[in-house]
Amino acid sequence: MTESDDFSLPLAAPPPPPPVPHWPARVQPMPLVEHEFEFSGRGDEYFRIWIVNLALTILSLGIFSAWAKVRTERYFYGNTKLVGVPFEYLAKPLPILLGRIIAVVLFSAYVLAGQFSIGLQLGLALLVAVLAPWLLVRGLMFRARYSSWRGLSFRFVPDYGESYIRFFVLFLPLLASFGLLYPWVKGKQKEFIVDHHRYGTQVFRFLARPGQFYPPYLIAWSVIFAWMFGGAMLFGFGVALLSAGSTSPPPQWIIWAFVVAIYAGYFVVLAFLAAAIANLVYNSTEVGGRRFQSRLKGGRLLWIYASNTVLILVSAGLLIPWAMVRLAQYRASCLSLLARDDFNGIEVRQGQGIDAIAAEVDGLFDIDIGL
Amino acid sequence: MTSLAARYFDGQSSRVHDVAVELLDNRTLRLRGAGIERDEPLEHLRVSPRLARIARTIELADGARLLLDDHPLIDQWFPLHNPLQRWVDRLERHAHAVAASIVVCVLSGAVLFYWGVPWMSDRIAAQLPEQVETRLGEEVLAQLDRFAGLAPSSLDMERQSGLLERFAALKADMPGAENHRLLFRNAAGIGPNALALPGGTVIITDQLVSLVNDDREIDAVLAHELGHQQQHHALRQTLRSSFVIVIAAMFAGDVSSASAVVVAVPTFLLQGHYSREFESEADAFALRTLAEKGTSPAWFAQAMRTLEAFVSDQGESDDSPGYLSSHPQTRERIDEAEFAGEKFAIEHPELYRERPDYDACAEDGICEDAESEEMDSDEVYECVDDDCERVEPDASLELQ
Repeated sequence: MTESDDFSLPLAAPPPPPPVPHWPARVQPMPLVEHEFEFSGRGDEYFRIWIVNLALTILSLGIFSAWAKVRTERYFYGNTKLVGVPFEYLAKPLPILLGRIIAVVLFSAYVLAGQFSIGLQLGLALLVAVLAPWLLVRGLMFRARYSSWRGLSFRFVPDYGESYIRFFVLFLPLLASFGLLYPWVKGKQKEFIVDHHRYGTQVFRFLARPGQFYPPYLIAWSVIFAWMFGGAMLFGFGVALLSAGSTSPPPQWIIWAFVVAIYAGYFVVLAFLAAAIANLVYNSTEVGGRRFQSRLKGGRLLWIYASNTVLILVSAGLLIPWAMVRLAQYRASCLSLLARDDFNGIEVRQGQGIDAIAAEVDGLFDIDIGL
Repeated sequence: MTSLAARYFDGQSSRVHDVAVELLDNRTLRLRGAGIERDEPLEHLRVSPRLARIARTIELADGARLLLDDHPLIDQWFPLHNPLQRWVDRLERHAHAVAASIVVCVLSGAVLFYWGVPWMSDRIAAQLPEQVETRLGEEVLAQLDRFAGLAPSSLDMERQSGLLERFAALKADMPGAENHRLLFRNAAGIGPNALALPGGTVIITDQLVSLVNDDREIDAVLAHELGHQQQHHALRQTLRSSFVIVIAAMFAGDVSSASAVVVAVPTFLLQGHYSREFESEADAFALRTLAEKGTSPAWFAQAMRTLEAFVSDQGESDDSPGYLSSHPQTRERIDEAEFAGEKFAIEHPELYRERPDYDACAEDGICEDAESEEMDSDEVYECVDDDCERVEPDASLELQ
């Protein structure tokens, strides 16, 4: 189900009274203004929401989890603002509950199937794998449809065929290349997700070529390789040194030190990689001529990830809300949108007005399967 | 009547209109702004539930919406909307309710990990077909042989068949023990140890066989491992760890991206807890079995002491963190076995020869040169290795 894409150019600031011209004069473009995303959530405030919702979920044996999800999403959306206007999360709890029940039933069927025959279980696992690209599109549609800003919803234009190519067929060359094509496949997938999003008449475009995903991954891979190689050399050297001239085995701690050092290396590289990929994706995304700008710093992200991990561990999980808020705060503080207009002239796509009703109609398939 | 400032979006464009909103006659909401004049009956409007400080939204019937800062008036205008979430919002703002929620969550977490996870895993373990457990055991054995440096045993055939007989005698009338088998492995990397793999396989290392002074110590160790087998400890431990991993991952999610660490640490700690529980179960089983077979359970204490002596001989540089290993419990386990041994001595005075403190020379006048026996055990100290009490990080292993 495709649509004829509506190419609309960035709209200049419309003259005072409506109607807004469809093809604005591009004689005098407005200056490029950077609009920063703000996040105004607070850890103590979100803690209250999180803990009460978790307790209610436990006491209701999981049923309340759908309401908890909506409240959580609304909290993070509602505290994220662009040009002073908050985002809104509009999904209702019941479709989410339905989606969760289906997921639980599927999972139980999968576990139960294992009791009868491994073949049946493998069959079910294969079915889920085959359905995954379809589920992914449905999930993206759900999220986009219920994400709104300035009274207009986002949309994800479904293209199941393309989804199967990028999230299913491409795994074959990926395997055949022993993973070397991973950055390229990753790029193709991000491109698919970005390109199919709409905001009103505005089309999202992904400007990076999949090949641009190679530099960050190649750097990450070489650093990890060098780190492991160096670590292994040091380890071997240490063992030789410590057990030189004695028959006793090397002490335990050196093995632990080796393992911990390798994991720490992974951790560091992953934080820098996450920052680089997020920056690449945002900085290559255009929506109706407006560009995103993301300035995540790997070191800062690493610090947040690492300190969040420590906070969560020492608090037995109770500080998870603070961790989530910190991360959201940092992400928002690094993101901005460069635009020449004041965002007042974006219109709903012709006929999209009934989408709100359509959303209620295909309610059964309108489920959020959060896998 | 107070009016509230709001931003109006017509749902057709992203244009912001500043409007003032007020209640007209308890049934109509009046919107006034530049170019906006609307009077809307309340029953056609939907309001978003109150949540922390975020802006409220009033949806109009035609898809237009009002965005306004939270204000007590809003809930007065729509007294019947969102009763459930209104109640939840009150709880979230109430200090006592928040405190109660913390208690509920922490308690349920404790109940979940102390009883829930073990209960669920044990139900599943009881339901799993035998082949699954056997397959898992084969998998673990193959991995051990490849990665943990297990080599074929260097014990001679005679010794092996002697021990196999002892093993067969021990499991003789255990229900469902027909397929339990004993394997010998030379494991310099693991040292004196015995392992119970899922599906009935017990491994004993050459290092353990040559360490002990009396074969009844091996009986005690094998009875302990058979206890693990009879109660499917390896499989249950695997399932428990999997549950802990799934639960921890569900919560920690993306927050730290260190999900691996956030998941690994609780898994590791809980694994220690669960495995101590299994160790005592296997100990109790071993003491019972030994007594039934007419061997004093005190041999179990003897075996523990032999291992302990080996470890402390080795372990001048023993760096494993004490509280994580099951070390502090060794004393307790020995006491337990000694106690069972005394009980055995009282119940079966005729089996006095089966006690470790039986002195053939003093009691039966059969005296022999004790030194030659001691010599054997000295040789073992070459085949060095680590602390045999340590619990391997691998979930599927139960170390004795």
